[in-house]
Amino acid sequence: MTPGGKALAEFVAEATEILDALGRDLLALDEARGQEADPEHINGIFRAAHSLKGLSGLFGQERISQLAHAAEDLLDRLRLGRLTLDDQVLDTLVDALDTFQALLGEASRTEEGADLSQRTRDMEDRMARLGSPPPAVEEDPLERLELDATVRAVFTEYEEHRLRENVRRGVALWRVRAAFDLTDFDQGLADLNARLKPLGEVISTLPSSRPGGSTGIAFDLIFGAKVAAHALEAALRGTPAELAPLAVRPPVEGSPGPAFDMPPPPSGREETDAELLLAADTDEEEPDEGSAPPGGSTSLATVPVTPVGSPPRMRAVAPPSTVVGLQAAASAPIPAGRPKVEETSLRSLTQTVRVDIGRLDGLINMVGELLLIKANLQRLAETSRQDGTVALSKLFGQELSRETRQLERKLEALQEGLLEARMVPVGQVFDKLARLVRKIAREAGKEIDFVSSGGEVELDKLIVEELSDPLMHLIRNAIDHGAEGPEARLSAGKPRRAVVRLRAEQKGNHVVISVSDDGSGIDEVRVREVALSRGLVTPSQVSEMTRRELLNLIFLPGFSTRSSVSSLSGRGVGLDVVKNNLGNLSGIIDVWSERGKGTAFHLTLPVTLAIVRALVVGVSGRTYAVPLNSVLEILSVQPRDIRTVERREVLDLRGQTLPFLRLGRLFHLPEREVNRHFVVVVGLAQQRLGIAVDELFGQQDIVTKPLGGRLSRVKGISGATDLGNRRTVLVLDVAELLEEGIAQERRRA
Amino acid sequence: MSRFEALLDAFFYRPDEDVGGLLDFAAGSDDLAQPLLEEEPVEYLAFRLEAECYAVPILSVREICKVPLLTEIPRAEPQLLGVMNLRGELLPVYDVKLRLRLSEVPPLVAGPDAGLPPRAARILVLKTDDGPAGVWVDSVAGVVRLKPSMVELSPAGLRGDRDCVAGLGRKGSQLYILLDPEQALSP
Repeated sequence: MTPGGKALAEFVAEATEILDALGRDLLALDEARGQEADPEHINGIFRAAHSLKGLSGLFGQERISQLAHAAEDLLDRLRLGRLTLDDQVLDTLVDALDTFQALLGEASRTEEGADLSQRTRDMEDRMARLGSPPPAVEEDPLERLELDATVRAVFTEYEEHRLRENVRRGVALWRVRAAFDLTDFDQGLADLNARLKPLGEVISTLPSSRPGGSTGIAFDLIFGAKVAAHALEAALRGTPAELAPLAVRPPVEGSPGPAFDMPPPPSGREETDAELLLAADTDEEEPDEGSAPPGGSTSLATVPVTPVGSPPRMRAVAPPSTVVGLQAAASAPIPAGRPKVEETSLRSLTQTVRVDIGRLDGLINMVGELLLIKANLQRLAETSRQDGTVALSKLFGQELSRETRQLERKLEALQEGLLEARMVPVGQVFDKLARLVRKIAREAGKEIDFVSSGGEVELDKLIVEELSDPLMHLIRNAIDHGAEGPEARLSAGKPRRAVVRLRAEQKGNHVVISVSDDGSGIDEVRVREVALSRGLVTPSQVSEMTRRELLNLIFLPGFSTRSSVSSLSGRGVGLDVVKNNLGNLSGIIDVWSERGKGTAFHLTLPVTLAIVRALVVGVSGRTYAVPLNSVLEILSVQPRDIRTVERREVLDLRGQTLPFLRLGRLFHLPEREVNRHFVVVVGLAQQRLGIAVDELFGQQDIVTKPLGGRLSRVKGISGATDLGNRRTVLVLDVAELLEEGIAQERRRA
Repeated sequence: MSRFEALLDAFFYRPDEDVGGLLDFAAGSDDLAQPLLEEEPVEYLAFRLEAECYAVPILSVREICKVPLLTEIPRAEPQLLGVMNLRGELLPVYDVKLRLRLSEVPPLVAGPDAGLPPRAARILVLKTDDGPAGVWVDSVAGVVRLKPSMVELSPAGLRGDRDCVAGLGRKGSQLYILLDPEQALSP
């Protein structure tokens, strides 16, 4: 890779992460549409846009950088309360995210399409035009807060805005005062913040007037609590924090009476200190900067100054000295103004290392080779142990086999660790899909509630990547074909909004992901008609099909139940593609549907494809490997136990009929006379199949290598592996074999 | 014959080994009476299939290896002999004789019933658009340098319906059938 290419890859990786974070916050905002927006999320988006601007600037990605700049402006106005977060703004932000993703896509291919450039410029204009100021308020709620003006003076515009919001919403405000030792105050403060975070919002952190002892430092945290006083107290037990409520006047005009006894008003000397503090604090937006002359004793009247463009408010009546004397920095012990915890260390915040999946693949392959060497060692140890003629050799053999067992254990640990490193939560895909749902629903004119669960279930990174397209397609289907429009739903006696669910669940060695809706369900009569009219099945076949088999016809190539191709689902990609994609992951798909109740697709997938334990079997002198995660049991069967039902061979397994497939016959291998078969019973989801083989050779851990592009059309084989001694052994694709077994059953008619 | 003897045997020159291509190559380089036209000769790898001599551009050959154990792929197209493991890499191995109509049935070279491969047989690993692929040849003849003037583009439809013969090269009395690897291996 060229250095430029490498830098680009870095940029794309980093930018993708930022966009992911941005998307998550945006989604959270979207879910809380119509409610009070969580400032954390707005801040998160703001930070993401800011980082993206910096990053893209660094890499010379002009278009992304400019759009990020526009987005940052918009978000800054939002965050400072100059703009309210209404649907229009939210939609713009969601569209902006799409545009970012498209831009990033072009950047990664080093293209610069004119269409997208135009779209970017339109987007920038759109963001700039948004700007209805928030509804004017009668009185600045901040004025109702009994807070010393000198304290207010040191707030940044943002902190002031947040405080105002909290007062307006009637949130209980507290002053949390805590003293820490100078040596580890950053840690103590971080700990305190972590405890407070879940309970509400830390609006500002100020150095306290109260000296924290000879080697200490005290802080006042202005905190808006979501919980009751006793809960807050309980949460802070064990920390040096002291709580004091901040009084808020009721929002009636003209009753500025203080409610508590007040400490003496701050002296002029202290205010001077506060001014110095302000001057030092230049990296923050400071609307008040320089507004008060240093040393002036009248600073009480000069602050705060309304910044240009901020909502109109009455500022003249600063409350005449207040209850809770939050005296700002009477004796600020540290010179650099308010300490910012996050700046005390340059160490990065995460412990994560980003690794190319290709490297992990390489390591996994290496482990595979090591496992082969281990197997050879074991064999050596075994032979020399049994070779009992020489006493020395026997002793040596025992020693060797002991060491080999040690090696085996360590290798297993190594393998496990590597596999774990490849695991990522499926939530990564779910988040992306959740964003899509909104867009699709809007385009389709449906009202959808999207519910996802099990995002924490982990799958191999490669599988998760490959999953996103099939899942997207299924969700599109659910919204476009499954869910009815609001009116149709109401008349059917259902709630107006349709529910689309995405759920992941671990089941043993597999993960089951389901996409379901509570829509109209699949009309199997219609399915039958379409399948017949397209010539996909014959009338005689159809007449014998069960409902489930009929439903499964939708996976046949060339099937689409809608006569009019919609712009959403009907993009020429059918469910057969979804099914194929899953097949490549050794997974299977199953459909359930009930008229009027809804449809559900269940995807059963292996947790990993990298290293699997396999059963090594022999058929007509050939050797094959069967992944053990889909093997349910192994039977030994006499030829006379095999029955035929309508010319098809089946087995009777504890009263259940089990479809039976002779692997040799399926693969057109020369058949050998055997007096008994071994039947490997495989199963995925609800499907079961007995595969007859001649011999069983045992179990082995294998690294499956795909057969590659030239051989991708080969059926029933998922790849090949090496069992030592340089013999290449094919790995059976259980999902495909099951498929063929079922298809044979269908064909019998 | 022990394994070591077999290895040595494979290493040393055997009198019965076909090195015609090499001799041709040597003869060509000795021939100074070439036309003054400054032609860049192109190097080809020459090999034998049945009784005929074929050649592919040497730049399309990644390597030449002895015939390893081949694993047959069930239900594959007949010209796919099987897969081989080349230093951990999985490669498909093809037979082109079927396509060139040099034989009617694919040879039985993979699986438990296959005999030992002929001693001179080799697998050419060719670079193709779909990734590397092995091609079974009966023996490797050597490298031959052919100038464009020595190559005659083959009349369309010389052999088979898919035109995998790119042309004919003539050097001295020897005729080389130039194979188009992409065409020869296309499904």
